[in-house]
Amino acid sequence: MTSPATANQPSGANSGMAAFTQEWANAITGTSYLPMSQAQLKRLLDRLARELAAALLAEPFDLRAGQRVGTELVAAHIASAEALGRTVEVVQLRLVRDLGLVADDIADRLARLLAAVTTGYTRALRDRTLDEQESIRRAAMAQRTKAERALRASEARFRHQATHDSLTDLPNRNLFTERLATALAKPRRDSDRVGLCFLDLDQFKRVNDQHGHQAGDRVLTEVANRLRQALTGHLVARLGGDAFVILIERTGGTRDVIAVAEAALAAVHEPAVVAGHEVTVRTSIGIVERQVAGTSANELMRAADCTLHWAKAAGGGRWTLYDAERDRQELTRQALTAAIPAGLDRGEFYLDYQPLASLRDGRLLGVEALVRWRHPELGVLRPDQFIGLAEETGLIVPLGGWVLAEACRAAGSWSVTSGTPFVSVNLAVRQVHRPGLVQEVRNILQRSGLPPERLQLEITESAMMSPAEEPVQALRRLADLGVRIAIDDFGTGYSNLAYLRDLPVTELKVAGEFVAGLRAQEPQADERIVASLVSLAHALDLTVTAEGVETAGQAERLRAIGCDAGQGWHFGRPEPADRILARLG
Amino acid sequence: MRRPDWAPDDIDIERPSVARMYDYYLGGSHNFAVDRAAAQAMVAAVPEAPLMAQANRAFLRRAVHFLVDAGIRQFLDIGSGIPTVGNVHEIVQQVAPESRVVYVDTDPVAVAHSQEILADNNQATVLQEDLRHPDRILDHPELRRLLNLNEPTAVLIVAVLHFVSDDDRPAELLRTLRDALAPGSWLVLSQASDEGRPETERSDAETVYRRTGSPLWFRDRSELTTLFDGFELVEPGVVWVPQWRPETPESSMNAETSAFLGGVGRIGD
Repeated sequence: MTSPATANQPSGANSGMAAFTQEWANAITGTSYLPMSQAQLKRLLDRLARELAAALLAEPFDLRAGQRVGTELVAAHIASAEALGRTVEVVQLRLVRDLGLVADDIADRLARLLAAVTTGYTRALRDRTLDEQESIRRAAMAQRTKAERALRASEARFRHQATHDSLTDLPNRNLFTERLATALAKPRRDSDRVGLCFLDLDQFKRVNDQHGHQAGDRVLTEVANRLRQALTGHLVARLGGDAFVILIERTGGTRDVIAVAEAALAAVHEPAVVAGHEVTVRTSIGIVERQVAGTSANELMRAADCTLHWAKAAGGGRWTLYDAERDRQELTRQALTAAIPAGLDRGEFYLDYQPLASLRDGRLLGVEALVRWRHPELGVLRPDQFIGLAEETGLIVPLGGWVLAEACRAAGSWSVTSGTPFVSVNLAVRQVHRPGLVQEVRNILQRSGLPPERLQLEITESAMMSPAEEPVQALRRLADLGVRIAIDDFGTGYSNLAYLRDLPVTELKVAGEFVAGLRAQEPQADERIVASLVSLAHALDLTVTAEGVETAGQAERLRAIGCDAGQGWHFGRPEPADRILARLG
Repeated sequence: MRRPDWAPDDIDIERPSVARMYDYYLGGSHNFAVDRAAAQAMVAAVPEAPLMAQANRAFLRRAVHFLVDAGIRQFLDIGSGIPTVGNVHEIVQQVAPESRVVYVDTDPVAVAHSQEILADNNQATVLQEDLRHPDRILDHPELRRLLNLNEPTAVLIVAVLHFVSDDDRPAELLRTLRDALAPGSWLVLSQASDEGRPETERSDAETVYRRTGSPLWFRDRSELTTLFDGFELVEPGVVWVPQWRPETPESSMNAETSAFLGGVGRIGD
């Protein structure tokens, strides 16, 4: 048995190997990126070439060596179609020749070995390709998952920001509105009820003013935290500023909502420490609670807001329950107030006059002008139905101005042989405090031709309760013109006697409630009061008119006391001037 | 509406990625059909494109070996792309296992892939950032965790600057990085150049890359040299990348066909 194969020129084998390895390296360089130096590459190829050579000559012939070489090439990143093609070419053309390999069946063996190299190489390359595809796809999926998670998180964050207040992190008006709408739109049962507590901190502005806005913000945050803790289970939202709202769903009745309001008051009414100071925090709460069916978010909000104002008006630091009747009355009053300017424009106001008679001889001394409103829908309204509103809103200034001008215009035209009566006109507090009053009166007198001494202005005690100097000066100048000044409803206000000394007052009008007590035969407390007032007035050189004289008996007693004049049904009800004048002839 | 900073990136792998195209040029399979289509279009326009990428990758390998030999043990690889064969941490940790490597890339898939590769390597990390925001890279807690910038560090910006236009003020970006580095630190730069290339080839290549969302911005030798401002260039300076310290004289033949210029500079002590 002969040796299967021998290198015929052992001394030339090494140089042959070097030439082959160089050729192989050249062939595959550039087919793909090889992460190694040229020296490393040649060492690798040298080893693989030796393996191939050994396999070609080995007995028995083992194809696995070829597969191993193919696999190793790929593992060394010599991994491309071109690298395989060139490897097959170089090995086929050069290996046997360069290394001087000799064997009987060398051509067959080489073909089969190269087939094994190709198989091993292709399998390894395919595995590698699949592995890399899998790993890049996994990375893409990981990235997509991450991006989607980030997107969801950012959407949640967007949503949170859009629905929460940035200072307190309480739900904001948007979320509250949404939740209220849902509660109203989808009640679980027809009988479901819903409640709202509107909160507004009392005099919160003072905290900001005294301690700065940062402190104010801290108080708001503190209040928000307390409400959140005290009212778990209910939606507590910040509507803006120092206004909060609590939504109470599926209430069992008013009592449930009141309990929530009580808890909110207790939570808020703890003092807060701000910038080292203890700050008292108080709040007012408006409560509305009703059946879901038939109500709307707007109605609920308006009712709660209006109730909150009642709580504030009542002094704050309390809850107030919505009262539909009160709300309706206020709405009517508001509508009436709003109609005053148009009523003035359309001439819906007119004056009646009530006589002021001398108690000595029954002679007509003057008449008090009393305004009436012939309302197109409500009929004739008396002053007590609209003057209060006009005073609250300031509309009393144009209305009172009209009354004054109209009364003077009318009185200027009167002419009575037996002595023409003066006209007495009420001046509201706001009118007295208005700059330009004197000029206004002077203009009116001039226009109407009414002599100043036939105009009496009635002011209330409260008009003089201001520390301001201007009203007093205005009244002095009016008195200097010759206008009479009367104090209306004397004895029911502060009855400060000091101004009687300082003011140019000519007359006191004693409130009707004292006169009402003059019915009894026996002298009572009221009679003694009136008697005292009369003597006080006379001591100050003032005349006294008693209001609300309804009976001859009352008139008699007043005369006995020494009262100068009387006004009331006994002497005549308010009526148009021409009727009064006609009786005088 | 402007998206806030914390809003997530678009999920978009339907667009070719320059990182995965580069992997394709290097013979890798970490790429999708859309990347291969773009890369094949590039090869049609510039047939040597795969060789250019390989030459550039080989430059990176030689430069990193050079730096390891110079004693550098901290590497910041900005624009690292897909961690294909011959990653920086593989090269350096083989020689000096204590070396630390921070990879940076804008491509979220490349970053996710790197994270998987580096999951078990506590000496290397990857962060998703852009070379255009060097402050964010330098202040990133992951970078601060691994690198001590008071020690010499090598910053590698290899085959990335051609995606940074002059409008992005590359000189300022590099100055920011340089100012954060200790004396004895290094900068490795390489980028595509159109020196000596036909105009049609240049415009075709630009067309391919415009679709990737990373348009090309070529620079010549003097422009790239200027970007080493503040660094002392080591021999042979800014050259075609195959000419940078070649292993064999033959491997630097026809170097200009690589279309990549590169250089290595050092901050003096």
